[in-house]
Amino acid sequence: MTRGLGALARGLLRGFYAVASAGLLVVHLVLFVPGLGLGLIFLLPWPIVQLRPVTNLVRRSCGDVPRPYRDRPGPPRPEADGRYRYDRMLYHSPFWPRQVGYLNWVLGDPATWRDVGWMLLNPVVGVVLGAGPAALVIAGLTVAFATGYWIAVGLALIALGVVVAPAALRAHDSWTRRMLGPRDEVGSLKAWLGLRFMTLVRLAALGGLTVVTAGLAVLSAAALALFAVGVVGTIPENAALTRRVTEIRRRLAEQWSGVSIQTPYRPEPPLPPRRPDGLYAVGDNLYKSTGWTRFFQRLEWIWHDPATWRDLLWTVTDPFVGGALVLMSAGAVGYGFLGVALPALLRLTRVDDPPALLVLADRPTLALAAGVVLVVAGALAAPAALRWHGRWTAVLLAPTAKARLSTRVEQLTESRADATSAQAAELRRIERDLHDGAQGRLVAVGLALGAIEALIETDPAAARRLVADARESTARALAELRDLVRGVRPPVLAERGLVEAVRALALDSPVPATVAGGLAGRVPEPVESAVYFAVSEALVNAAKHAAASTVEIAFAHHDGVLTAVVEDDGRGGADPAVGSGLRGMRHRLSAFDGTVRVVSPAGGPTTVTLEVPCALFSPKTSTSSARDSSNS
Amino acid sequence: MRVVLAEDLYLLREGLKQLLSAHGFSVVAAVDNGPDLLRALLDERPDVAVVDVRLPPTQTDEGLQAALAARRELPGLPVLVLSQHVERLYARELLADGTGGVGYLLKDRVFNAEQFVDAVRRVAAGGTAMDPDVIAKLFARSDQKVGRLTPREREVLELMAEGRSNGAIGQRLFLSESAVGKHTASIFGKLGLAASDDDNRRVLAVLAFLDGR
Repeated sequence: MTRGLGALARGLLRGFYAVASAGLLVVHLVLFVPGLGLGLIFLLPWPIVQLRPVTNLVRRSCGDVPRPYRDRPGPPRPEADGRYRYDRMLYHSPFWPRQVGYLNWVLGDPATWRDVGWMLLNPVVGVVLGAGPAALVIAGLTVAFATGYWIAVGLALIALGVVVAPAALRAHDSWTRRMLGPRDEVGSLKAWLGLRFMTLVRLAALGGLTVVTAGLAVLSAAALALFAVGVVGTIPENAALTRRVTEIRRRLAEQWSGVSIQTPYRPEPPLPPRRPDGLYAVGDNLYKSTGWTRFFQRLEWIWHDPATWRDLLWTVTDPFVGGALVLMSAGAVGYGFLGVALPALLRLTRVDDPPALLVLADRPTLALAAGVVLVVAGALAAPAALRWHGRWTAVLLAPTAKARLSTRVEQLTESRADATSAQAAELRRIERDLHDGAQGRLVAVGLALGAIEALIETDPAAARRLVADARESTARALAELRDLVRGVRPPVLAERGLVEAVRALALDSPVPATVAGGLAGRVPEPVESAVYFAVSEALVNAAKHAAASTVEIAFAHHDGVLTAVVEDDGRGGADPAVGSGLRGMRHRLSAFDGTVRVVSPAGGPTTVTLEVPCALFSPKTSTSSARDSSNS
Repeated sequence: MRVVLAEDLYLLREGLKQLLSAHGFSVVAAVDNGPDLLRALLDERPDVAVVDVRLPPTQTDEGLQAALAARRELPGLPVLVLSQHVERLYARELLADGTGGVGYLLKDRVFNAEQFVDAVRRVAAGGTAMDPDVIAKLFARSDQKVGRLTPREREVLELMAEGRSNGAIGQRLFLSESAVGKHTASIFGKLGLAASDDDNRRVLAVLAFLDGR
């Protein structure tokens, strides 16, 4: 009896939650709709996260259901060069990486969508299972006391309520656990539906962004008009704004539609060198101050970049083309459900005055069928629409073949300059070392031999001393030549290849180092050297600056890219802007289109990742034939 | 004593041949590439082989590979490897089979004919001859256990690791053999190794200790 009464009370609490979750749903919709419909996608995650404490309260009171949420991503950490990385993009401020990471964290968590599903269903399930028994008891009391005649029925209802209460409560709690608890895997149908839903959400968000693009087109028109009347400052500002928006769309096309679009803009030119008369030339005009020079140069740069005009063309056409694609699928689903099917359904269930978006207003059955067809067709078309949306974005926002080539030429010019100057410096060093070292010592040996020739008869003791000196000199010269060779191309690298050479390096490292992973073949010689010296540098840094106690080096080769990762457990805080070693590493690898990534938060650990695109080739066969013949 | 010699530089090969002949060795084969070396080692079964690491046709570590392959066929075949540079990696590969009779020296060591010939003899007798450079590299890594040794004990350990006997160490450091014995016992104690009289096992123990941390 007391158990039943307790269950009744707790059931009432569940009923209260059910009412609350209906409220939550309304709050969600209020923020969700503008978030999705107007492209203000950054409005989306906030209410969801703010309302999580409420669902957590429900979890606690329904039998300590564990929380299913993924951990919140940490704040974006700057890379060694001070920029922030998200996916395959570097940002100067942490704002965008944080926003996008936050968005992906919230919307990518299946628990989020289960929360929403719970809010949708709980107003019914929670009220029936939670408050149901209590309602039976109240009904029984009412019948028994108010009418007086049906006491037996009333008592029966009360008894039923009390008896059913624990079972209803159990059912409610297990339902809540299923809805709100962590789940191992999603059923295939559910996953399929979830995917469609995500696709539709993304399309709708793109539709919202189309509105933003239309606004941008209007702004651009205004900027051009102002330019025409002489307000020249508007063009660079407008172009910069447009570029920021199109850059987001390029990223979204890659993340959502799987269409990778490179940034097409030409790099900003450096300030021209001052002429002999102290002026700067931009085009045919001469300017005195750096401020004006920079401004007109920027104008020139933006005005003559074809990508600027393609951006503009895109802002004008995207509201039509992109908008049409969104309307085709997400629009069809929305209109089919809210405009055709729902009013028809309401009419069939005899609700007066349903909203009149209905075309087939007088034939509800046909309208319902048409609505369902629209929803299904729209949902089926959604993935294709999203894909086409990406392709459409690429049509105008991707760099043209010409732009790609000129970017590439610029990169190559830069890396060639790096490579040749590094090479020249290296040759200078070798020349100096030979001149100051081995050459000098051999001259000394020659001198000593001359003296020995003269002394050998007259003063054998002195001659013997000179012989000893000469031998000492040749040994020194050899040691110096050895060091020189090691600095140019370490013998073990030539003999054994990259991985074994690094293993030899690890053996000599003052910090215990381990080498993991291997390569299926030899790396081209120049790349081998560059990566070897870069890894060597990283290892020295770990020992010298990071106060590390262990270092791990790993090699891998995937998709034509050689990767070497050097990770230490030291104190971190490495900054390439300060150390010349890391910059040297970057120069060395840039000649091969290679990259160096340093992640080194203060407090450690430091990870240096080297990536160089290159092919592996099979090692020379005669070594292995020597190995084979030993087995025969 | 019968020697097989492998060296691709003509001048150095002839020089080594003369040096070894002058010290009473008979050079039964002098080859200049890896495949010939392996064949000569397996056919001649010399008392000792003097081998350059880098040999044609690959100009990589062909000599070392041929020597290791021959030692797999003929366990304990004494091999003295010469190189323009010393790598711990190679020293470890040579010592790996634990049978001794290996040496690994810088080519410059032939400047001092006495020491070089001494090394060849030690290797031929089944001992070891590690280049002082290799040993110096081993000690370059700061290590707590090695740090506990006294300077004199370090000197003894270095010479011991080169492959010298207690008698030879005593001569070099002007100590009596029993004094060297006391030092070695104390070194083994501090390094946590079981003492042993065997020259070869002593080097292996030292290398294993310094490598295996």
